[in-house]
Amino acid sequence: MEGGIRAWKGMVAQGLPEAGIAFFSPAADAEEIVGLAWALEEGSKFFYQGVSEQFSSDKEAQEMFSWLVSAEKSHERNLLETYEALTGARPDFEKLRGKFSDSLSGKVMEGGIPVKEALAWAKDKGVSESLELAIAMEVNAYDLYIKMSRTIEDKQAQQIFKRLSIEEQVHLKKLAGLLDKRV
Amino acid sequence: MGVLDYFKSVPSMTAEEVRQFLAEKHPDEYNLVDVRQPKEYERDHIPGANLIPMADLKDRLDEIDPEKPTIAY
Repeated sequence: MEGGIRAWKGMVAQGLPEAGIAFFSPAADAEEIVGLAWALEEGSKFFYQGVSEQFSSDKEAQEMFSWLVSAEKSHERNLLETYEALTGARPDFEKLRGKFSDSLSGKVMEGGIPVKEALAWAKDKGVSESLELAIAMEVNAYDLYIKMSRTIEDKQAQQIFKRLSIEEQVHLKKLAGLLDKRV
Repeated sequence: MGVLDYFKSVPSMTAEEVRQFLAEKHPDEYNLVDVRQPKEYERDHIPGANLIPMADLKDRLDEIDPEKPTIAY
């Protein structure tokens, strides 16, 4: 690529190749991966919900973040459907909760950021800054899902990560569009 | 690889062309290789890029699928 990374004006991910992969490393099979990925989506949903309430006086911003809440919901739904299509069953969340109680409570969002901390950070920030945080978090998730689809051995899990990365790509396009409108 | 291969020109793409290419393709359809040092990669990299520093390239060529287009930066 001409000019290398300095010429690149698109989104960038951060962290070493192994960053984030550790979060999924205890999850060896497709069910556990779906469980953990689902929990991260849940965390992101809580974050967008919180930010949406914060910008209640800004109609356009509230609509944006409400859209993100519904996008996360459909993301979760797609994740479960992909799992079901691949395995013919639904993930056993009770079993997963017992195994990953700390990670499965929706306290952490995509990119591995604690929801509480992100909401505290966003409290005195504007819409654009909150969108930038959302993009940074989603771009890192996108980066992670691509890498996971290459490194994980379980074939079904590979498919799930591929699906997740495709969805993140769509998601990022929409987020970037929203940010463009606000800056 | 024959000696003449060293004289083959390597097509380059602008950042904008790369952006468009990546937006249209799925990560399975190409090799995106970051040949910089790990610290540079850690600071920022194009999403989905595989870190293979220049010095390691010779030993890690098997990570690059010769059937797919490769973008390096």
